Amino acid sequence: MLGKGGKRKFDEHEDGLEGKVVSPTDGPSKVSYTLQRQTIFNISLMKLYNHRPLTEPSLQKTVLINNMLRRIQEELKQEGSLRPVFVTASQPADPLSDNFREAQPAFSHLASQPLLPTDFVSTTPLESCLTPASLLEDDTFCTSPTVQHDGPTKSPPPALQPVKDSFSSALDEIEELCPAPTSAEAVAAETAADDSKDHPSESNVQKPEGLPESRTAESKLMDSLPGNFEITTSTGFLTDLTLDDILFADIDTSMYDFDPCTSATGAASKMAPVSADELLKTLAPYSSQPVTPNQPFKMDLTELDHIMEVLVGS
Amino acid sequence: FLGAGGGNDIQWCFSQVKGAVDDDVAEADIISTVEFNHSGELLATGDKGGRVVIFQQEQENKTQSHSRGEYNVYSTFQSHEPEFDYLKSLEIEEKINKIRWLPQKNAAQFLLSTNDKTIKLWKISERDKRPEGYNLKEEDGRYRDPTTVTTLRVPVFRPMDLMVEASPRRIFANAHTYHINSISINSDYETYLSADDLRINLWHLEITDRSFNIVDIKPANMEELTEVITAAEFHPNSCNTFVYSSSKGTIRLCDMRASALCDRHSKLFEEPEDPSNRSFFSEIISSISDVKFSHSGRYMMTRDYLSVKIWDLNMENRPVETYQVHEYLRSKLCSLYENDCIFDKFECCWNGSDRQVEIFSIIVMTGSYNNFFRMFDRNTKRDITLEASRENNKPRTVLKPRKVCASGKRKKDEISVDSLDFNKKILHTAWHPKENIIAVATTNNLYIFQDKMN
Repeated sequence: MLGKGGKRKFDEHEDGLEGKVVSPTDGPSKVSYTLQRQTIFNISLMKLYNHRPLTEPSLQKTVLINNMLRRIQEELKQEGSLRPVFVTASQPADPLSDNFREAQPAFSHLASQPLLPTDFVSTTPLESCLTPASLLEDDTFCTSPTVQHDGPTKSPPPALQPVKDSFSSALDEIEELCPAPTSAEAVAAETAADDSKDHPSESNVQKPEGLPESRTAESKLMDSLPGNFEITTSTGFLTDLTLDDILFADIDTSMYDFDPCTSATGAASKMAPVSADELLKTLAPYSSQPVTPNQPFKMDLTELDHIMEVLVGS
Repeated sequence: FLGAGGGNDIQWCFSQVKGAVDDDVAEADIISTVEFNHSGELLATGDKGGRVVIFQQEQENKTQSHSRGEYNVYSTFQSHEPEFDYLKSLEIEEKINKIRWLPQKNAAQFLLSTNDKTIKLWKISERDKRPEGYNLKEEDGRYRDPTTVTTLRVPVFRPMDLMVEASPRRIFANAHTYHINSISINSDYETYLSADDLRINLWHLEITDRSFNIVDIKPANMEELTEVITAAEFHPNSCNTFVYSSSKGTIRLCDMRASALCDRHSKLFEEPEDPSNRSFFSEIISSISDVKFSHSGRYMMTRDYLSVKIWDLNMENRPVETYQVHEYLRSKLCSLYENDCIFDKFECCWNGSDRQVEIFSIIVMTGSYNNFFRMFDRNTKRDITLEASRENNKPRTVLKPRKVCASGKRKKDEISVDSLDFNKKILHTAWHPKENIIAVATTNNLYIFQDKMN
């Protein structure tokens, strides 16, 4: 399990980390690998779900992203049986713990994190310089310098924490079954899809109250999607992962666009949005994408705008 | 890298640049393919707006022996229009994915151009004479009253200003469910192949209502799809042989004589993964974006995200050479994945065939970011990085080699990885078949460079 070192890839400076004992639990290396994997997983999901092309998206790109997701899922599945290792990230002995406490107040500010999905939807102009995810590749655990952003993205709020810390804080919070969601989260939670019905046997995490959506409505929605591209990830993809249920509950499905005109959603239509939802929720519960009429559990847009304004301080 | 002077080293000079000067790039002007014809006299570009622009080289001026003829616009036409697929409710882009020239058989020129779904055969012909002196028509085309005709005359051809006309002669449609990425004309000059993500079809140039499927990798259950076709090409000499590359970094060589459906390859070229370089992105960066046979047909070259590989057709288990195009990007793959640059499809090309035979020099060229492009000389084992830019480019001035500083202290004139402009990518390059003239496409400009003639 700790032999994950062979699979990691950071820049060449990291080669020396392999085999080195940096902490009693070997926490940081493992966690940073996990974090990078998680980031890539989330980025991959967002690429699949947020793309709203007028033309068909590239099949090659879709296949490569799907393969990436499957590979990570396989790893997670294998690690699922070794889940106890994950909690080391949140233990006080872990050097990251200071960052956790620091980052917790910023948990509600996830929407303004650099990984806000609207930031790297394809309509965003390509940045000339490298994007914030390069922070992960530098593999620094301290708070990072300000993130570079070009174009229309808003400047991050002063409380901006590096991506890693928000993940770590997310892990920490959920591990502790954080009972007090922020107001923003509560709103999001109320309108999130009820995914507990997908896995009644696995959801042992406190679910938010007032989830209006039923599984049948959701499945009807998915089944009605034409699946333009035919390609669909396997129905087993991302399901039955107790790990995901525990780590990432209460995901807001407003991230998804179930517009039948986009084959990307067709691609994902059979993919149980459970885990995808959950993961996206930790990153950015807010989306400025327009609501489709047959998506009953989307957040109220005006509320969304208000929250965004508050967070970004504009 | 290549220094100035010495032996057969080429000194590249700026010659011309075509396209809009301003930085605001109109989407339709984005160049999507570049191709010289077989003689090198014509240079075609296709763009995202579905247009084809053909440049013609001036005949060499005997008095101006220090430079070869310039390329000037010869013909411009709209090859493809945007279409709408009503079944899927999606637009079909008019972007020209590939242009391939047919060898010239008569006065007219022919080329194949393709977008995602439809291939068209275009005839480009010159008209420099027109008939005058009709009996029944006036010069402006109006019909004369036959009763006013009292004498008869024979119409004669009179010279007129040169007019270049492009007309579509064949339209090969409705054969591809997925997006066409390659077309390749067979050495028999009668058939050609077109490849999309999952299938390859064989056409006869004269027949548009029928094509034969020769490769089909679509799985019965689309959920099992993990690999797509990325490029395909016919062997330059062997009309029954073609290759196709995949998103998993493999190349399959197929023989059409073996069976009607070439799902079983004759050869499979694949290099085992280097375990020390394994990462989350190993598969994506191994995806092959271009495959090109050498002019002799003995070698083929493939381009993946970070490297160019030269394969000997007789050796399947590894390439004979690997050139690193921009290895400094390996530590930035996560960012490049995030901003989609990792999916950029760079092409590659060999130097001209005459050069290869004459002086046994083989050079390969490919593009990179920041408007840089790279050349690798097989014989000297040296490489060079050059930049396509309007600044610092005066005609007949030798281009200055560029260097990217991967890490550590940046020397003067070096550019650091973090300063690279990933919006400025050179995906398409072409090499004149006979001379040392190259065409390099930036986002919306076409640069022509020549070697310095003494």
